[in-house]
Amino acid sequence: MITRTRIQALAAILSRRMPLSRRITLSRRMPLSRVTPWSRVTPWSRRSPVWRRWPVSVAFPVLAMLAALVSRSPDQAARAQPPERVGKAPTAPANPRVPAGLEAYRKAANRGPAEANREMPQNQGNRPPGKAFGNMPGRAFGYGAGKAFAKAFGKAAATEPAKAANGPLGASPQAPQGAVKDTAKTAAQGRDAADAADAADAANGRIPNAANLALFERKIRPMLVAHCYECHSADSKELKGALALDTRAGLLQGGDSGPAIVPGNVKASVLIAAIRHEGGLEMPPKQKLTDEQIADFVRWVEAGADDPRDGAATKTASTIDIQQGRQYWAFQQPVHSPPPAVQDTAWPASDIDRFVRAAQEKNGVSSAADADPRVLVRRVYFDLIGLPPTPDESLRFVRQCQSGAPRALETALEQTVDRLLESSRFGERWGRHWLDVARFAESTGKESNHNYPHAWRYRDYVIDSFNADVPFDQFIREQLAGDLLPAQDDIQRAEQTIATGFLALGPKSLTERDKKKFELDVVDEQIDTATQAFLGLTVACARCHDHKFDPIPQADYYALAGIFRSTEVLYGTIRVITNANPSGLLTLPENAAVPVALPELTAADRQRLEKLLADTQSQSREALRDRQSGTQQIVRNRILLGTLEAKLNAYNPDGSPKTLAMGTRDRVVARDSELYIRGEVEKPGRVVPRGFVQVVCDEPSPAIKNGSGRLELANWIASADNPLTARVFVNRVWQHLFGRGLVPTPDNFGASGQKPSHPELLDHLALTFIEDGWSVKRLIRRIALSRVYRQDSTSHEANFAHDPDNVWLWRMSPRRLDAEAIRDAMLAIAGRLELTPPVGSAVALGGDGFSAGLELGRQLDEQRFNCRAVYLPVIRGRMMESLEEFDAVDGTAVVGQRSATTVPSQSLYLLNSSFVLNLASSAARRLMAEASEADKRVDWAYQRWFGRLPSDAERVAAVSFISRYRDKAKADGPTLSGPDMAAWTAFCQSLWASGEFLVRK
Amino acid sequence: MSPAHNCLNSRRAFLRSVSHGFGALAYAALTQTAAPTAAQTGVPAGTPTNVQAAATPALGVKPPHFAPRAKRVLMMTMEGGPSHVDTFDYKPELAKRAGKAIGKGRLPNAKLMPSPWEFQQAGQSGLWISDLYPELRRQADKLCLVNSMQTDVPAHATAFIQLHTGIATAPRPSLGAWVLYGLGTDNANLPGFVTISAPAILGGPINYGSAFLPASYQATKIGGNRQSITRAQVANIKSPRSQTTQEEQLAFIESLNAAERARSANNAFVDGLSAAHALAYRMQGELPPVIELGRETAAMQAQYGIGESSTEDFGRQCLMARRLLESGVRFVEVCHGGWDQHRNLREDHGKHAGATDKPIAGLLADLADRGMLQDTLVLWGGEFGRTPYAQTDDGRDHNHLGYTMWMAGGGVKGGLRYGATDDFGHEAVTDKVHIHDWHATILHLLGLDHERLTFPYAGRDMRLTDVKGRVHKGLLA
Repeated sequence: MITRTRIQALAAILSRRMPLSRRITLSRRMPLSRVTPWSRVTPWSRRSPVWRRWPVSVAFPVLAMLAALVSRSPDQAARAQPPERVGKAPTAPANPRVPAGLEAYRKAANRGPAEANREMPQNQGNRPPGKAFGNMPGRAFGYGAGKAFAKAFGKAAATEPAKAANGPLGASPQAPQGAVKDTAKTAAQGRDAADAADAADAANGRIPNAANLALFERKIRPMLVAHCYECHSADSKELKGALALDTRAGLLQGGDSGPAIVPGNVKASVLIAAIRHEGGLEMPPKQKLTDEQIADFVRWVEAGADDPRDGAATKTASTIDIQQGRQYWAFQQPVHSPPPAVQDTAWPASDIDRFVRAAQEKNGVSSAADADPRVLVRRVYFDLIGLPPTPDESLRFVRQCQSGAPRALETALEQTVDRLLESSRFGERWGRHWLDVARFAESTGKESNHNYPHAWRYRDYVIDSFNADVPFDQFIREQLAGDLLPAQDDIQRAEQTIATGFLALGPKSLTERDKKKFELDVVDEQIDTATQAFLGLTVACARCHDHKFDPIPQADYYALAGIFRSTEVLYGTIRVITNANPSGLLTLPENAAVPVALPELTAADRQRLEKLLADTQSQSREALRDRQSGTQQIVRNRILLGTLEAKLNAYNPDGSPKTLAMGTRDRVVARDSELYIRGEVEKPGRVVPRGFVQVVCDEPSPAIKNGSGRLELANWIASADNPLTARVFVNRVWQHLFGRGLVPTPDNFGASGQKPSHPELLDHLALTFIEDGWSVKRLIRRIALSRVYRQDSTSHEANFAHDPDNVWLWRMSPRRLDAEAIRDAMLAIAGRLELTPPVGSAVALGGDGFSAGLELGRQLDEQRFNCRAVYLPVIRGRMMESLEEFDAVDGTAVVGQRSATTVPSQSLYLLNSSFVLNLASSAARRLMAEASEADKRVDWAYQRWFGRLPSDAERVAAVSFISRYRDKAKADGPTLSGPDMAAWTAFCQSLWASGEFLVRK
Repeated sequence: MSPAHNCLNSRRAFLRSVSHGFGALAYAALTQTAAPTAAQTGVPAGTPTNVQAAATPALGVKPPHFAPRAKRVLMMTMEGGPSHVDTFDYKPELAKRAGKAIGKGRLPNAKLMPSPWEFQQAGQSGLWISDLYPELRRQADKLCLVNSMQTDVPAHATAFIQLHTGIATAPRPSLGAWVLYGLGTDNANLPGFVTISAPAILGGPINYGSAFLPASYQATKIGGNRQSITRAQVANIKSPRSQTTQEEQLAFIESLNAAERARSANNAFVDGLSAAHALAYRMQGELPPVIELGRETAAMQAQYGIGESSTEDFGRQCLMARRLLESGVRFVEVCHGGWDQHRNLREDHGKHAGATDKPIAGLLADLADRGMLQDTLVLWGGEFGRTPYAQTDDGRDHNHLGYTMWMAGGGVKGGLRYGATDDFGHEAVTDKVHIHDWHATILHLLGLDHERLTFPYAGRDMRLTDVKGRVHKGLLA
């Protein structure tokens, strides 16, 4: 019985409690309060490189093992590397390392195949001259060619062992192979097909053949007109398969299935296959051509496919008109409008208010009075830091407002807002909002749910960035291309590396055995997340066809896909039977002094683990020999082996934990992506050059020449000229403060989303945001100090009847607290909230392996955590109850706006769960210690829970509830804590279950 | 003393106040949003225009698109992939060609393995059913065997999620959530969608989640995660207080909320909160007795196999499901796992069929006796079937190209064998029913058009059947 005891033993090791009560960090971004003395930081910089410290006797077997791993799997090998070797890659310069020879080749290929052949290095000459098109679809460049290619550039690879170790050249023949194929393809199928046609003739070194031209005019053209033009010409209602056959360029450029004909090469001509009904296409669809007609086509192609029909294809596949699409409001540049004149000049306190007031006047609603200071201070606290004010803080604010000084309320509000923006709690609140959008989680989700033990670094990066008020454009660049940005030092390099975790921590179907499909699904998830998060566009809708609502052709999707396919994404996970797709991880630079989540591995622990590993290995071998052993036993052994190996792998030989991160780096060879017909992996079509979303570009998107194009993409998104980026983000901020965005569909600014209620205000906010250097704090400050934000939330019958959704902002919409705010506030009131951020995460402690293992080890038991909710482990599909009940998200998709349900299971949770009951008794104990008289206790509680004192009637009602409850509890019989405690516990819990607590007004 | 708690001295009084006083207001709010939604009108509603509208999603009964043949669903999920050629898809050719190579498919050299079990014809319909299901065989005329099922991928998790949500690669709502979204539920005191003993693996909660549909459409979970069904309960259903003290507390909370409503009019959340507390309290009272099987006679329990160790667990699940359906729950799923016999087929398939045969037969008979079978749709099947050829000497591999699921009850033809696989049961050849078709047909039986049951999400009107699915009218009664 290996399983149970071993798993328990492992769980015991894995579940060791975090040793550090304080967060370790030296990041310049972090507030001083979070910095820990040097002595507690893993002293990376003071160590000699690992390979020097390893005795030969240790190093040799380890290296031998590594060699074995390399031969098995490049990904695993990367994981097993000593960190120094893995570590070099993430610090890649902006210009990815393309071997010089390849660069020459790429240039040549782009100029046209004929020239390419002339200029190509000799050792690339495995393509016979003049046959450029014949070999084009890449079949000639099979696996062997890839190897030849690698050999050709072997020198370049050998000089950079880090790369070789990580696989791009030595271990992944596919990439260079693809690049050769694609650059050649691009030449023929790029946007300028007419040139390609000329190039074809030039390549063949021939002038048009008169006899063949005659054949075209006599036989071929009539057939094309009669049988093909209906669906494949400028006059077609809809161009089928993106293929136009009414020009020479159209034929050569081809459609979704690639070039229709390749002059001189019948085999490679899809059109011939189609009319022969071979290879899946059957054309013309209704009736096959006669054998004689087919023979004519074949003869014509063999003889060079002479075709006098000049000019580029006049009709494109897409029915999308990009020019016209640019007229849509969201794709137009935001414009500065002067703040409108308003009748009620007394009300507005800022330009924001003038825009709002003008809309109110136009739509016939009034504005509301300023909220009561008690309400206002609670609102500002929850909105800015996600916690309620303490009674002292609340009282101070109220007194200040009522001091009678001029602008007393304004001053009090200003000071409070500024103080809250400077608090580290701010990043925890607003970072969480961004984590919803970034679909943050610490496991893969899907069928085989694996831990991401390093995802917490991204979470902390986000929190720190909001606290440090990193300009939002910089924040975007770091998340999309942090690895490609220059860095002043290792600390910044580490931060930027961690930032790219944004692209790596999405949900993944690790069980997918089709590698291509897995790759495309990961890329799809990245495109979906990035375009929704930053641009408010649903570009992923264009994976299988042109976007149904927005002017986003399918080609735009694959232009982006090329960028992400040229990017290696590293997320870890272990190879077991249900994970066909593990990857490596990034090692953070030595001198970054990043915090570590794991305690050091003691020699004793290492021995235990190694013994366990050895035992499991032998058990596993036995089980395999013994045919009676169940499949499950064998599978369990393998899982255990994988988990143990990963556990050991998480440490350096000296027992210190490795400092790893999820993230991205450019592949050595960048490549454009094929367009997949109907999104089907089996149906690659034409190659689309890497690029951006055309409708959002002023001009055709600039050509990406070097590297993946990720940096260019990041710069394009994070640009003041991008009409969407700033608007989308200010709208998110507005929504968090008012409950409804100016555009009510925060992740969809497209045609199927909704239009802005206050377009001029949206533009005003976006433009001032940019002018302010993309400062998120200033943006929030500006809004929080506006008159409209200060409004009372009480209803107004006429306004409500006219505008129940409060589109025109005639009051502050009351709304339920977020899941995190409910939990944090309950903990705070109960006196149990630990504000010191924990280091790492329960998932980091759990380490690699199935997320289900965390449950076995009881590491997800909610009662264990008194930290703020943002630091709770986030396992996809296994949310903490307190969060799940109140509509928090588990990172399955981008969520710009959570739902706000009110369902009975929430009531059951508030009334009956042991967690809430437990907190209620903590709160009751606190309250009973605070005051001895019932009246005083009630006052204390009202201040804590609601930020106000009870009315006399409320006080009487509460006290009489206590006494009635106490009597009934007494009648129920004796309990451990006694009826008094029971009554006060019930009282505390009741306040939590009340609307006044759960709603921020 | 606030007026609220004068009348709240007993549970009865509390409930009365729920239906008259504040409850009336909250109830109005509930029914208001229960008006036809995008699903019924076919009008793409866009995203909710009113943020607050999402605060009280409609669970009240909603009219279907057209006259339904079934009103409620019981789904029996056989996790692991039961072998169709050993249960409901009789292939005499396998015996004739035992040990010969199959000659097609991915492994043309794999050796055909005859079923270790005899098949017999049963009922007036003469359906062939194997000795694995002798009890169920007596109910043959109620079954509509769909022998031509197909799904996309022969991997457990993917296929299991696809069985439940249509698409494994994206977060999609489960079948039960779609049905609840489309039809609402009869009994406001109980959840509308319940899953019993759902596995924590193979996607876990995805299989009964609501994904982008509002959270109120997800299943309420009873048991699961290998928890013994005898102790299984709904989370937090049990109050830590006595009835008298809890009523005292609820009355106090309601007085707080009434005061808050007076201060803060048109605050949808506070309105909804009172209703939710009241519903939770009623559910707390109503649900435990429904799933308390001790209220059934010994004979009834025996009919489901309760009291015999092999059938105890699934028998309890089935009886609990029947009691829930009877009480007005719209969709109940039960699950028996472990059918993945790559080896040890004879013993383990025998064990799993044995654990489910009597409970299923007992359930079908019981539903018929109660007159419930005619409008209850019963579904049976796994995420895929198994290969006609052997893996090891005594096992079969996964097969997604052709397998069997069956339907019974509401609106389906009993005693029918629909569709067929080839001579070996390797691949569906006639009337292929892809899992999308299966879903489309189920919705059709419930009076829902799978192309019109949509929800706007991520810029599209999403469907259970994605862009596919065809209703197989041939199996409708």
